Amino acid sequence: MSEETTSESVAKGRTYGAFRCLNCFERVTVPTRTKTHKCPHCGFEWRISWIAPDFPRIRGPVWDVNRRLAEEATAKEKDGRE
Amino acid sequence: MALNRQIAYIDLTTGDVKMKPIPIEIRKLFLGGRGLDMYLMYNHIEPGIDPLGPDNVVFVSAGILGGTLASASSRTHIGGKSPLTGFIGSANMGGFFAPELRWAGFDHIVIKGRAEKPSYLWINNGEIAIRDAGSIWGQTVHDTQQIIREELGDRDIKVLTIGLAGEKLVRFANVMTGMKDAGGRSGMGALLGSKNLKAIAVRGTMDIKIEHPEEALEYNRKIISQITSAKVSQTQGKLGTPFIWGATNTQGLIRVRNFQLNQLENADEVEPEALEELATGMAGCFGCQVHCRSKYIIPEGPYAGVYDEGPEYTSQGAFAGEPGCRSANTILVGNHLVNIYGLDNLETGSMIAWAMELYEKGILTIKDTDGLELRFGNDEALIEMVHRIAKRQGLGDILAEGPLRAAEKIGKDSIKYLIHVKGMSNLHSDERATPALALGIATGSRGADHLRSRPAIDLYHLPESVLRSIYSQPVPYDGPLSSDYHDYEGKPWQVRWQEMCYEAVDCLGICKYHTVFLGATLPSFEEWSELLYYNTGLELSPLDIWNVADRAYNIERLFNIREGMTREHDWLVDRYFDEPTKLGIPNIQGRTIDRDKFKRMIDEYYQHHGWDENGVPRPETLQKLGIENEPSHML
Repeated sequence: MSEETTSESVAKGRTYGAFRCLNCFERVTVPTRTKTHKCPHCGFEWRISWIAPDFPRIRGPVWDVNRRLAEEATAKEKDGRE
Repeated sequence: MALNRQIAYIDLTTGDVKMKPIPIEIRKLFLGGRGLDMYLMYNHIEPGIDPLGPDNVVFVSAGILGGTLASASSRTHIGGKSPLTGFIGSANMGGFFAPELRWAGFDHIVIKGRAEKPSYLWINNGEIAIRDAGSIWGQTVHDTQQIIREELGDRDIKVLTIGLAGEKLVRFANVMTGMKDAGGRSGMGALLGSKNLKAIAVRGTMDIKIEHPEEALEYNRKIISQITSAKVSQTQGKLGTPFIWGATNTQGLIRVRNFQLNQLENADEVEPEALEELATGMAGCFGCQVHCRSKYIIPEGPYAGVYDEGPEYTSQGAFAGEPGCRSANTILVGNHLVNIYGLDNLETGSMIAWAMELYEKGILTIKDTDGLELRFGNDEALIEMVHRIAKRQGLGDILAEGPLRAAEKIGKDSIKYLIHVKGMSNLHSDERATPALALGIATGSRGADHLRSRPAIDLYHLPESVLRSIYSQPVPYDGPLSSDYHDYEGKPWQVRWQEMCYEAVDCLGICKYHTVFLGATLPSFEEWSELLYYNTGLELSPLDIWNVADRAYNIERLFNIREGMTREHDWLVDRYFDEPTKLGIPNIQGRTIDRDKFKRMIDEYYQHHGWDENGVPRPETLQKLGIENEPSHML
């Protein structure tokens, strides 16, 4: 039986109590049972659900906030390109 | 031992049944399941035959680890020439059928000819009978299984069956087992229907001797820990595959309104957490610890109180995202209907969404729909169209022909709005921002396909070091790899690697959710080599298993080329290149696939395979894999 496989080695980097922001990909730690959380890195606001007490997951965006932020970011990027 | 299961050859025209052992040399080359089925398909299906004619052949199989101590060794493979695409037909499903088939003494069933009247097969501990299916023809998927169990007097019988859709030769009909386990994509249900074969019932009590039982148990304990500790498995065990739809909808990576949009905004009521609130529990397949299948009772409407299982990601896409509907009840009803009719939910939802766009553009009129307002967001029209497709009524009869034939019948500009590859509809995902996933869709061997090569972990923004540790085993790779899912560089290798990963588990008979598909920490070639040895005694290194997968994948390519496939078939529809994404996070908005870069990706992908610029395997590639003389007709 081999000692450590590639998958086991990758698993060592696993973190708990945090999620990866789906907009900026930074890891974000959130207080337990939080239902919405603003990413401190990019400002996107997410609705949070909990798979386990130490395992948060992004349920979805806060729709109106993120739509506005996305439109602003896209307009800014477009201006930059022009 | 685990390797003494046989192949049964059944001729439905003559009633002949023959059985043969599987030579160990063939085992080492193709293992079993999809791999050995592909070998058999290339050898037994004559080029150019009508997929719905008696010359087509159905292949049903278990993987080589099916029914052993290996976790999630539940998968059944069904193959044949596809009535939908005319290329390879290949479907894979979980449940309990494949282990039972092995316990009954068989690994592969080869079914030829056409029965004179509706029939079903009864496989019982090494014996096979062709029985009259008069009592089950016309019955639903669920009722058929129950009737057969009652008729044969054994509640433990496992049944693989078609529903009304298969009987009516809907070209994307599924083969089904249990409440919702679906052999979907490529229309294998229509193939069974064309043979007047309603079902296969199986019961087995013949032990599989595990070669090294103590080590197999111990190693499986390690695998179980690896699987259950993975975050993706925990998420899946709570939310099922809808969690994928939720995560990708959050970003703007799904297909909405027939690919006009890439996000279903304000989708709170159809998010996985909302569906979970309606679930009564979770269920699993044979030998699985994840339990990703929701159980539910439809809460309201005409189907209130009906029990079923699912829905999966594809039912969310089919009955929410694509048609632009926002009702959990509609998802549950739609999911139930495709389950009992034996319809491919992905193809059904895609065809209806396409028809909705045609209706809104005036290409289809209210006369064409027999009075149905086939607009996006119309839940009633959506559900009604599911019935009409399964029963082949009115416009449903046209849609039942699948994308290309339906477009030909409708005419006008309808083909312009089809979202397909090789005549098979795309998954309900949007890959315009993710070239790696787009490449997988374009090159999938059975048509637009997320289950043949999707490098889903590309979406996780994993560090390059992690990507390298995964993608440089068991074949060394020192080319580029990128954590950025927008990149084109290095992605062809990821697609190539995932192809081998999925083909390998399809040969072993293990579920893809127990591999590096959705989670980077799940088992891979190294683990499978050990599992194979402890359970069967076969000593194949991780590289040997990669080569098995490569051999089978090249056979699939050869089959398709023999049926007329060219490089042009490995391509996407224009919307990928011409219409930018409109919604989602800034990273996703305004994205298209770059044609020139995509062409270069395909060139690179072919090179990784050892194929020429037209996608044809080079002679030296076939020689290296030992398949230069196929079809060899050894089995």
